[in-house]
Amino acid sequence: MGRQLTTLILTAAAAAVTLPAQEVLAPTPEQVGSTRGENVGAYNITDSFEFGYRFASVFGNDGLYRSDINYGNGLRLLGSTLTIDSKDGHGRPFDELLLTTMGLGRDPYESVVLRIRKNRLYRYDMNWRENQFFDPGVVISGGEHLMNTTRLLQDHDLTLLPDNRVATFDLGYSRNTLTGPALTSAQEFDTSIVAFPVFSNIRQQYNDFRAGATLHLARFTFIVRRTWEFFKQDTVDSQTAPEGSIDPIDPSVLQTFSRTQPFHGSNGAWLGTLFTSRKHWAVNARANYASGKGDFALNEMATGTDRFGAAANREILVNGDAQRPTLSSDFNLTILPTDNFTIVNHTAVSNIRIDGNSFYSEYDFATNTLTMLDFNFLGVRTVSNATNLRYNPRKWFGVYAGYTFSDRQIRVEEAFNLPGVPNGSGSSLYPQDSTLSAVSGGFRLQPLKPWTVNLGGEVGHASGALTPVSDRNYHTLGGRTQYRTRLLQLGATYREQYNENAPLSFTTYSSRSRQAGASASWAIKRWVSLDTSYTKLHLDTVGGLQFFAGLVSPQLQTGYDSIFISNIHAANLGARFSIGRRADLFVGYTITKDTGDGRSAAAPPAASGTAALLDSVQTFPLTYESPMARISFRLTPKLRWNAAWQYYGYNEQFQLFSYYENYHAHTGFTSLQWSF
Amino acid sequence: MFAGQRISVAVFILLWVAALSPAQTPTPNAGYVGSNACKTCHADVWASFYKNPHDQALARGDRPPEQTGCEGCHGPGQQHVAARGGKTTIGHAFSIMQPKQILEDCLTCHAKDLQKANIQRSEHTLNGVTCTNCHSIHHSPSAKFLLAKTRSETCFACHASVRAQFEMPSKHRVNEGVMDCWDCHNPHGTFTATWRMATRPPMVEQTGLNDEACIKCHSDRRGPFVYEHAPTVVEGCERCHYPHGSTNGRLLRRPVVFTLCLECHNGGGTGTRLAGVDLTTSGHNLLDPKYQRCTTCHVRIHGSNADPLFLR
Repeated sequence: MGRQLTTLILTAAAAAVTLPAQEVLAPTPEQVGSTRGENVGAYNITDSFEFGYRFASVFGNDGLYRSDINYGNGLRLLGSTLTIDSKDGHGRPFDELLLTTMGLGRDPYESVVLRIRKNRLYRYDMNWRENQFFDPGVVISGGEHLMNTTRLLQDHDLTLLPDNRVATFDLGYSRNTLTGPALTSAQEFDTSIVAFPVFSNIRQQYNDFRAGATLHLARFTFIVRRTWEFFKQDTVDSQTAPEGSIDPIDPSVLQTFSRTQPFHGSNGAWLGTLFTSRKHWAVNARANYASGKGDFALNEMATGTDRFGAAANREILVNGDAQRPTLSSDFNLTILPTDNFTIVNHTAVSNIRIDGNSFYSEYDFATNTLTMLDFNFLGVRTVSNATNLRYNPRKWFGVYAGYTFSDRQIRVEEAFNLPGVPNGSGSSLYPQDSTLSAVSGGFRLQPLKPWTVNLGGEVGHASGALTPVSDRNYHTLGGRTQYRTRLLQLGATYREQYNENAPLSFTTYSSRSRQAGASASWAIKRWVSLDTSYTKLHLDTVGGLQFFAGLVSPQLQTGYDSIFISNIHAANLGARFSIGRRADLFVGYTITKDTGDGRSAAAPPAASGTAALLDSVQTFPLTYESPMARISFRLTPKLRWNAAWQYYGYNEQFQLFSYYENYHAHTGFTSLQWSF
Repeated sequence: MFAGQRISVAVFILLWVAALSPAQTPTPNAGYVGSNACKTCHADVWASFYKNPHDQALARGDRPPEQTGCEGCHGPGQQHVAARGGKTTIGHAFSIMQPKQILEDCLTCHAKDLQKANIQRSEHTLNGVTCTNCHSIHHSPSAKFLLAKTRSETCFACHASVRAQFEMPSKHRVNEGVMDCWDCHNPHGTFTATWRMATRPPMVEQTGLNDEACIKCHSDRRGPFVYEHAPTVVEGCERCHYPHGSTNGRLLRRPVVFTLCLECHNGGGTGTRLAGVDLTTSGHNLLDPKYQRCTTCHVRIHGSNADPLFLR
């Protein structure tokens, strides 16, 4: 009995340790530990509902608050859990039912998870999620591309004969929709880059059906799966009232605008996998082919006046279809010659082709000219082989090493017909090959049973980098040490990733990121536990630039670098207290502070020249912090009262785009939680 | 019905018939005492074991002890019973076993799962992280998967820097509970990526259509587009975005978009035409604020069916 009690205490303490240091306000995490619930017939039932009122009070930039946090006011079913488990494994019609919900009632993040399982016969999993997304679009367009959309995701998976030793079958369905209003922009009338704001009604829908079977025969497992995906985008952009240009000095006016651009298509995929695992070897092979086909059309009509005040109109018609067949296959051979030595060789081939028939026609009524463009072909074929060796000569010591070689071919074919452009017709083919070689290695030490140390790294070189910032000469180095007991967990990590690409033919690029952190979780007593971590994220990049700029007229600028420096200090602290047997109190604090490159004041206004402009975007110091407190009182054995408060403070130290987006908000909830 | 469909139907019927065929006859093995013997001392484990997925095999009642119940994982218990307890008398006491042994024990049954097909070469396995580091078989607080901690807290126990990224202003909603780490990652190892030269995405799961995990939700980015923005296909979304969290809007790698664009569009690299990535045009005067927000005009930056410059 004493031993069981000790085990229960240790379990409860360990569970307390696992409680997160910082979490969003609701739902309130249930205390875990001993078995609870009520027995009804052959079933054990547990149930929990947390119903309450969520509040939010926002000061400052509401748009960015909604982008980052988005909690509002109102009644919510903050969380619920229902479990029904058969005690003998022979329940009818199911042996397990699990239903959890979160945020129902217009929280921006809502989810429902359902699992129903009947031993030997079936298992059904459902995952439903809704995410209310708001973004002011300041970074990408100075606020012209605001989005206020809802993404709805649902996945249904039914497995028949789930633990059958010969064959199992699975059926699945997923649906993904994105709907809602947004703002976008349209460039019209000429090529002087004049854009007008227009309204966008986003409507996207994806439906995915799956069917598959798994066969176990002669210790081999064979999986075949068929997938059908159907997608359609019917977003409509429109503008009915006269609208001026985004550029304040541009006199152009957009009188009417409409753009429909339906894009419907389907993807069919086959997956075949064969694998087996024996005492001294294992093999898995996979082939996956996905066809992709999309039919599209675009009809855009704009009327208005151009920048010279003359009447202008424009109609663009596009139609065509596109294919995107992809094939990927893997062959993985694992050899286990001894109990402590493992060799894994992996070969992979993938091929993506994007091709199709497209006829782009733009008719300019003013000049009676027709522009035609044809499809661009993009193909990417990659072959890679990797070998990993793992050797564990002692329980306290293990090493690994690996070598990866990858060969990639990109083929781009452009066909075009550009009136007025010299040699602006015909087609051009651009094939290019790249190779990558990488060596990796590391070791694991376990000096004491609860103490582990890991060190590892990778050095790689790639030829033919597609972009200046692609991996070319890189290395990673990482280490981790952990001390873990039931009541105390300590950890420290370090990781650096350098990509030094200089010299390239036109420019230089260097990216260096370093992460260092430490964390601790400690169940000091049964009634108090602490959880804390600190992370330092450093990033500095330097990239050569070529662009056009000038105070009078734009000239090619070649002597500048794009420099970006970020030094983020992120910390969190959480403390949980149990007060008697009545109350639980949680207090937490997180902070993300980017100190930038250390400068104390923002760069002078960019209007003074190119150097000043680039200087002003080299660093972006800010502070984002969030203290919180949550208390939970046990009113009766089945009823608790919860209350919580969480503050969010966002403070940009330097302004971008001439204004700050700072905000602070008080959020929280009060709720009743009924559970047994 | 097409020939391919007929073949598919025939294969499914054959598999179904095979599945309903009788299971193998169990063969008794020495040293096994059955799970009932374990109840006496380990009542705390037994009391809630019916909630454990591993109870399914036990409930069937048609499998020998070495394939089910306590001894299915822990090995024959006769010596342990005779010695009246003790870890060293358990054939497979996971708390004192090497990571490799633990992995092999679990793979005895779980090797048949597609999700674990690459576990031998996963970064977790290479670094000695094994099943019991993340899963708690007997005392799991999670609703699914027998995780040692609740949801993504399991991962944050080691990946504190990732937790920090999810606490940044712009982030995927993992802490808010609408996403989990395994929406994008397979902690058991993945097949080789079809992007980024097939290297270094740390256990990032692919979609069923061979795409990056991002496409599972952001399906509209998949295309196919007449005019692809090549880096998104060739190098993946993380070329411009931080997938976990960022201090910049839209998870971008830079606080202002023009620096992100110009770091590539400077004539360097090979570009798609083997002449370096295209420069911006001479008409784009960077000192004019409207040219500093590239995506104001290049609205279809992930790919377009109508404009090679992604203007519509």
